[in-house]
Parts: sequence; C-alpha cells; structure tokens
Amino acid sequence: MKKRSFGQMFLGKWNTMTLVAVAVGAALFGVLMVFGSIPIFTNTYLTSAMIIPVIVGGLFGPIPAFATMLIGNFVADLIGGWGFWFDWSIGNGVLGLFIGALPLYGARIDEGIFTVTHAIIYTACCIVGNAIAFGIVTPVMTSIFYAADLEITFIQAFAGGIANTAVLVIVGIPLLFLFANRFKKRSNLKEED
Amino acid sequence: MNNRLLINYSPGSTPIHKLNGATKVFGFLIITVYIIMTFDVRVMLPMLILCSIGIVSMKPNWKPILLILSFLFVMAGVVGSLMIILIRPTSGYTHTGGETILIQWTNHFFISKELIWYVSAMFFKRICSLSTAILFILAITPSELAAGFNKLGMPYKICTVISLAFRTIPDIARDYIDIKNSLMMRGVELDSRKASLGKRLKQTVFILSPLIMTSFGRIGTIANAMDLRGFSKHKQRTWYSERDPTAADWVARAIILLVAAFCVYYIVYIRIMNPPPFSYWTPWGYWNG
Repeated sequence: MKKRSFGQMFLGKWNTMTLVAVAVGAALFGVLMVFGSIPIFTNTYLTSAMIIPVIVGGLFGPIPAFATMLIGNFVADLIGGWGFWFDWSIGNGVLGLFIGALPLYGARIDEGIFTVTHAIIYTACCIVGNAIAFGIVTPVMTSIFYAADLEITFIQAFAGGIANTAVLVIVGIPLLFLFANRFKKRSNLKEED
Repeated sequence: MNNRLLINYSPGSTPIHKLNGATKVFGFLIITVYIIMTFDVRVMLPMLILCSIGIVSMKPNWKPILLILSFLFVMAGVVGSLMIILIRPTSGYTHTGGETILIQWTNHFFISKELIWYVSAMFFKRICSLSTAILFILAITPSELAAGFNKLGMPYKICTVISLAFRTIPDIARDYIDIKNSLMMRGVELDSRKASLGKRLKQTVFILSPLIMTSFGRIGTIANAMDLRGFSKHKQRTWYSERDPTAADWVARAIILLVAAFCVYYIVYIRIMNPPPFSYWTPWGYWNG
C-alpha cells in the first residue's frame, strides 16, 4: 500500500477519473434528493442522498466529496425546480467536507479497510460536521440572505442536522461495511513497486 | 419519472428559449443578486412581474410548477411563518421598527401589524427567488448551462462535470427502476403506505447498494473513454450547444447590464453607504425615523 501525504489525501487526485466520479456522484445525489427523500419539517428531509458524498469521500477524498455535495445540490435544485437555496447548499457542501474525510483517518473503502474504530470516528465526524454546517454556516447564510432571525433558522437547521446524522449513521455505516467487504474481495492482488 | 422533471433536455422554440446559453446564465446570476440584495417589496415586485411574464411566455407544463408552488406555500409560507409567530413575535419590531399590536393573548404571544408584514415580505422574497429559478430552469438545457458557465469564465472541467451529471441522470433513473422492480419481484414491500418509516430506511440500503455499485462501476469506463478522446489535453474546448449571439441576445444582455448597474448602485449607495435603520421596508414609514 502506498503512503500518501495529508495534503494529497485532502485534495484528492484531480484526474479524469475523479471528475467523472464527482459528476456521477452529483447526479446520484440530485436524483436521490428529489425522488428519494421524505419531508419531515420545513426544508428538512430524511434523505438517502447524504450517503453519496460519503462514498465519494471514501474513494477519492474530502474535496471531491465537497464538490459532489455542492454540484449535487445544484443539480437537485435544477431538476426539482424548487428554487435555489444557496444557504442550504453551502451548508451541505461544508458537511460534505466532514463526512468525506474518511481517508484522513485511515479508512480506505477501495482497499477494504473499514473497522469499528473507523465507524466510531465517522459517527463523530457526522455529528461535528452537522453541528458546524447546520449550526453555524446555514443559519448565518439564511440571516444574511433573508434577514431571518438566527433563533428560528437555528431550529430549522437543528432539525435538518438531526435528520442527516440519523441517515448518515443508520444507513451509512452498514453501507460502508458492505462496500469495504466487497472491495476487500477484489483486492487480494498486491501492487508491486 | 421524466414528466416530473422540470428541466428540458431539448431546446424549446419561444424567444427566451432561443437566447444564447451565456446570456441565460448571466441573466440568472444578476437576477439572483438582485433578489438577494433587497428586502424591499417595492424593489422586488417589478422583478417578480418580469419573471412571471417570462415564465408565461415559455408556455410551460403548469402541473409540476403548481405542485412546487403549493409545496413552498405550505413549507415556507404556513409552517415557517407560524414558527416565527410562535417563537419570536418581537421579530416584527426588530426588522421593521414598529409595533402595532392587533391581537394579544399573553405577554409572549401576540400578533402585530408589523409582524404580519415581516412574515409576508419574507414569503414574498422566497416566491421571487423561486420564480427566478423556475424561469431559469425552464429556459435552459444542461449543455447550454455548461457552455454558458464556461463562457463566463468558469474552468471547463467543472462545466463538464455539470453537464456530465445531467447526462447521467436518465441512466440512474433507468437503473433505479430496474432495481426497484427486481426487488418488488422478490417480495420486498416498497409501498410507502404499507411499510413503516424504519422499515423504509432499511429498504433504502437494499436499493442503494446496487444502485451505487452500478453507477460507480461505470466511472472507470467513462473516464477511460474521455481520456482516450483527449479530454483535458488542451486549455480550452468548444461546446456542441454554443452558438453565436443573435440580435435578441445583445438586446437581452444590454437590459441585464442595466439591471446589473442598478444592483451595484443599490448595494453600494443604499445598502452600504446609507443603510436603512431596519432591513424590511413597511408602508408605515419607520424608515424615515
């Protein structure tokens, strides 16, 4: 296994492969956001779309996950046609940065490495990411764009954060184990230097 | 699934459809700035009227638009307003500068004239931003969108990602329907009326894992095909949907530039140099002190 530096893992490799992955991820995110989500509160959905940036992050790194989330939101807004909610899109992008950070703490989905420790760190990342994205970024953006009260946007964002964390943990962790297992079976070949 | 999509994949025939991609993207960006910058109903109203005329002129399929509008009305209008009224009834005062109480239940729960104005003005702003978005979505096709963004200076790799994402959506939809059908054939209950919320969450794993696997499995093939055709070899590229601007484009761009000039004036002169004491304008004249 080749060692990669922190910066390299953070940025990911921006070749054609990554670009296509971001595009496919964004499309999946958009489709799942529009057709695979259950509205539970204003602007709040229990959506399986949240899983996509995790997978992209696990395979390609946090910045591709961030791009997937941002472009995916844009795609979802365009095909859903419910208008552009830039405050939520930016918040989602920041969240993508956190949940896509899998390679940074050693979880390598494409090499079949995902253990219970990684699952715990992943859960912590989900909670912290949601807290920052929807506890700070989105309410501030909403109050700038719409002059809404911080308190009220905070309540909305809080509901969104809880829903996201629930999906990310309940659906995300089993999926990550599943994918890690599946990639492990393929990777019994060793790379020679 | 396709009839629920608002965006067109093939260009229409009305005057707005025929505009250049760059014109549409530029116009949309300026109108978005225009809507975000102001909290004044008098400033927003002309743009809403313009956008509505634009939407009507494109003769759209009204069914999904009405669905989205009613959804926004319930979510942002009714629920959002109720939340403000219940949690912070004083926000009417903080944002408009006056308080004329109409109904008062307790010290904390009351409705003032200004609160109603504030809530409806905020909803009005949401409606405005929604109608600009609908106008843009109806007018543009994905490849025009990518070409237009590229024309405005965005790196073409990002533009390619956007157009590729839209290109992939029909594939994903097809895979999704296939997976769903095969799961139902094996007896998994996917009807939302029959299965509970927890069960449906569990079932999404069953659908998601093959969907993600097939979609991400295609990445290698697409990337190789693009590399073999010399993608990202040169600094620039041309676009299939790129056309030379017509006379109508130049007229539209001139109008958009005028709006942009007004935006700069409004942001610099009114928002930064002489900021009004309260963010929302009201007809009761608190702005003048």
